[in-house]
Amino acid sequence: MPDHRLAVSLHQDDPIPLDVEFSCDPGHVLAIFGPSGSGKTTILRAIAGLARPAHGRVQSGGDTWTDTDAGVFWPPHRRAVGFVFQEYALFPHLTALGNVMTALGHRRRPERRARAAELLNAVHLGGHDSKRPRELSGGERQRVALARALAREPAVLLLDEPFAAVDRAVRRRLQGEIDSLRRMLRVPLILVTHDFDDVVRLATHVLMLDHGRSVGYGSLSTLTSRPDLSWLHEAVGPGSVFEATVSRVDIDRGLVTLAFDGGTLLAPARQLAATTTVRVRIPAREVILATSAPTGLSLHNVLPGIVSAIHDDTTLDKAIIQMTVGRILLLAEVTRDAISKLDIKVGDHLHALVKSVSIEVFVPDTNASSVGPHFLDHTSHTVRIT
Amino acid sequence: MKARRTCVLLFLGTVFCVAWPAPSPAQKPPTIAAAANLNFALNEMADAFARARGTRVELVFGASGTLTRQIRDGAPFELFLAADEEFPNQLTAAGLTRDAGAVYAVGRLVVFAPRGSPLTVDERLEGLARLAKAGGVSRFAIANPEVAPYGKAAEAVLRKRGIWDTIRPRLVLGDTIAQAGQFATTGNAVGGLIAYSLVLAPDFGDRGTYAVIPDADYPPLRQRMVLLKRASPTATRFYEYVLSDAARAIFRKHGYAVPQ
Amino acid sequence: MDWSALRVSLWLGAGTIIVLLPFGIWFGRVLAHRHFRGKLLVETLVTVPLVLPPTVLGFYLLVTFGARSPLGQAFQAVVGQPLPFSFEGLLFASAIANIPFVVQPIQRGFEAIPPDVRDAAACCGLSPWQRFLRIELPLAWPSVLTAAILTFAHTLGEFGVVLMVGGNLPGETRTLSVAIYDRMQAFDDRSAGIMAATLLVVATVTLMATTMLSRQVGSRRA
Repeated sequence: MPDHRLAVSLHQDDPIPLDVEFSCDPGHVLAIFGPSGSGKTTILRAIAGLARPAHGRVQSGGDTWTDTDAGVFWPPHRRAVGFVFQEYALFPHLTALGNVMTALGHRRRPERRARAAELLNAVHLGGHDSKRPRELSGGERQRVALARALAREPAVLLLDEPFAAVDRAVRRRLQGEIDSLRRMLRVPLILVTHDFDDVVRLATHVLMLDHGRSVGYGSLSTLTSRPDLSWLHEAVGPGSVFEATVSRVDIDRGLVTLAFDGGTLLAPARQLAATTTVRVRIPAREVILATSAPTGLSLHNVLPGIVSAIHDDTTLDKAIIQMTVGRILLLAEVTRDAISKLDIKVGDHLHALVKSVSIEVFVPDTNASSVGPHFLDHTSHTVRIT
Repeated sequence: MKARRTCVLLFLGTVFCVAWPAPSPAQKPPTIAAAANLNFALNEMADAFARARGTRVELVFGASGTLTRQIRDGAPFELFLAADEEFPNQLTAAGLTRDAGAVYAVGRLVVFAPRGSPLTVDERLEGLARLAKAGGVSRFAIANPEVAPYGKAAEAVLRKRGIWDTIRPRLVLGDTIAQAGQFATTGNAVGGLIAYSLVLAPDFGDRGTYAVIPDADYPPLRQRMVLLKRASPTATRFYEYVLSDAARAIFRKHGYAVPQ
Repeated sequence: MDWSALRVSLWLGAGTIIVLLPFGIWFGRVLAHRHFRGKLLVETLVTVPLVLPPTVLGFYLLVTFGARSPLGQAFQAVVGQPLPFSFEGLLFASAIANIPFVVQPIQRGFEAIPPDVRDAAACCGLSPWQRFLRIELPLAWPSVLTAAILTFAHTLGEFGVVLMVGGNLPGETRTLSVAIYDRMQAFDDRSAGIMAATLLVVATVTLMATTMLSRQVGSRRA
C-alpha cells in the first residue's frame, strides 16, 4: 500500500497571506481551525491545485504536486484529491449517480456505473441514484459529494466546512460517518472548520490559524492542553481533550468508568457499551485543585498530577494551570489569588478534582452504522492519473 | 444517442452547403439595374424579351444615384438604365462601362392628387400654388433631388412656378421616384410630382387625378443606359432589345417619349 | 410571396448562427471566466453593434470592402467577386451586427455556473476540455440556445445593412424584409402584406421560444 503521507508548506503575502507548514499521516484527521478569513479554504485549495501559492510545496506520498522552487505544479485534475466543497458543488444537470460517475474516469467504462452505485450504497443513498441534486436534502447532497470524492480513490481527502449547512441532528450522524471513514481509509483527511465542536469530535491533530499564520500545530490533546493559546481559549474556553475507553458500566450506580492513559474517570452513565472508545473534554473551569486528596465530598474524580506550567492572565485576574496526569495534560482555571494561596509552583504535586457531571463525553454515533469496509475496493489502491 | 446526433448534424451540414444561395455565375441570368420609374415598363419588357428570346433577366430597381454608387462599389450589375444622363456618364468617365451607351427614352412628370385630397391638379400647378398659399399643403411628395433625376426635375418645375420656397418645408422626399409615388398615393401627402409611368401602371387603377407637366417646364428627362464592362452576351442582347421597335412601343404605352 | 427571398432570409439567419455560435461560445466563456485589464473596453465593444445604426455598419463595410477600396480590390482579385453585393458579404455584415446577441447571453450563461462547480469538476479528474464539454457547456446550453434564437430573429429583421451592403439582388441578397420594401415600391401591397405577416409570425414564435427557454433555465437553477 503506497504511503499517502501529505506534507505541505505554503508561504505568500497576497492575495491571502499564508505562512504554514504541516503534514498529515494516513488515517489521521487534521482539523484546520480558525476564524473566517484566516486562510483555511485557501490552504485546501492549494493542496487540491485550485490555487497556486507564491512559495510552497505540496507533497503526497512520493508525488510532488506543487514545488514553486522547481517550477512544478500539477493541475487539479491530475491530483488524486477528494474534495468535499462547503456547498457541495454537485453538478446540477446530473443525477446522483451521474455525479459520482464523473469522478470515475480513471476506471474502465463498463465498470463505472456499477462502482458508482456501490459508492452511493455505501453512503446510504442506495435508492436515490436517479435523483437530481435539487431533489435531495442538504444531508443527502453532502453524502453524494462525499461519495463523489471517494470515487476518485483519493490520496488525500479534503473537507471544507462540511457541517456548516446542516442541522444538528444530521451533523452528528455525518460526523460519526466521517469518523468511521477515516478509520477505514488509509489516507490523510484534512478538515477545515470554524466550529470547535467538529475539532473535538473528529480531529486527531489540529492546525490553528490566525490570519494565515500557524499559531498552533500538534495533536489534539497536546494542543487543547496548552495554557498559552489565549485565542483558542477565547473561542471555546480552555479545556483538555483526550481519548478514553469505557472499561466498566455500572447500571446500578448509574456510572461508567472511563479509562485513559493516566487513570480513570467516573462519568454519569449513558448508553455506552464497554470497550467503546470515546473522547473526553474537561473544561478548565470545572477543575478544582487541592494540595491533598479530600474526603467527605460528593466528588468521584480525584486525579493526582504534577504542575507542568502556569499561565498567568494578568488582565483577567485568572490563571490557567497545566497539570500532567499520567500521559495526558489537564487544565485548571483558577484565580491568581488561589495560586498564592496554595503557593503553586511548577513541579508541585497536586490533586485535580473534577465533577462527574462536568465531564463532556463524545460518543461516536453508533446509529449511523459506519461506512462499511465492503465499499473499499481491494482490487485497485493505486490510482493512475494521466 | 451521440451517434444519432452526429448524423443529424452531418445531414444538416450537407443540406446547408448544397442549398447555399449563391448560384454559380454561368447559369445565372444577368442582373440589370434600372431607375425606379421604369418598374412597370421594364417588367413588361423583360417578359416580352423572355418570350421572344427564351432567356430571362433579373431586374433590380432603385434610385439612379444609389445604383450608380453601388456599381462603383462593385455591385455585379451588367446593364444600367438610369433616369438621366449624368449618372451613367459618371460611370463612363470612371471607365466602368463598355461605351457611352444610348438614350432609350425620355421621361415625363405628372402632378398627382389622391382621391379625397384638397389639391386640384392642373398642368401649370396653379391649384398647388393656391393650396400652398392658403396653408393647406400638409405634405407634398417628390423624389430626392440628390439621388433621383425625377426629383431634380420636380424641383426645377416647382422653382419655375415660384412655389419652391413656399412648399419646401412641406416636402417629403422619397429616395426613389417610386417611394415618392408611395407617399403621394397612400394619402400621406396631399399629392406629389411623380413619374408619368407610375400613374399609367396597370395596378394603379384610379387612385386619384393627375395632370401631365409640359416638357418645357423642366430640363428633359433624357434617360440613358450603359452596358457595364462585365456585361454578358444576354445583357447585350437585352440592351439591343430595349432600342428595338417592340420595346419603344412599350415605352410609349407607359407614358415615355422615345428619341428618333 | 417571394419564396427565394424567404429562402435568403432563412439561410442568412442560419448562416449567421453557424458562423457566430462557436465564436460566441469561446468568447462568452473567456469573458465570463477571465479578468484582465481592458475587459470593460472589450465588453463595451461587444455591445456597440446593438446601439449602432445599421447604416453606420453598412457605410463602413462599403468603404472598407467596396470595389474602390484597396482591401476590396484585393478581395476581388483573390475571390473573383467583391465582398459587398454577395450573400457572403451579407453574412459578414450580419455576423458583425449580431455579435452582442450571441456573446452576451452566452457570457451570462457561463457566469451563472458557480465557480465551485467548475472546481469540483477539476477535482473529479476532468481535464479542462472535458470540464468544458461535460459540465460547463451542458449547464450553459439554454443560454446558447437563447443566443441562437435571438440572432436568428434579429437577422430576419435586418434591413438597413442588407439594403446598403446587399444591393437587393434577387435570390442572393434580397431578403424578405427588403422584398417587402421592394413590393411596396411596386405598389404590390398584397405581396408585401403576406410577407410582412410571415415575418410577424416568425418573430412571435421566436419570442415564445426564448421565453420558454428562459423559464427552463430558471427551474433548473432551483
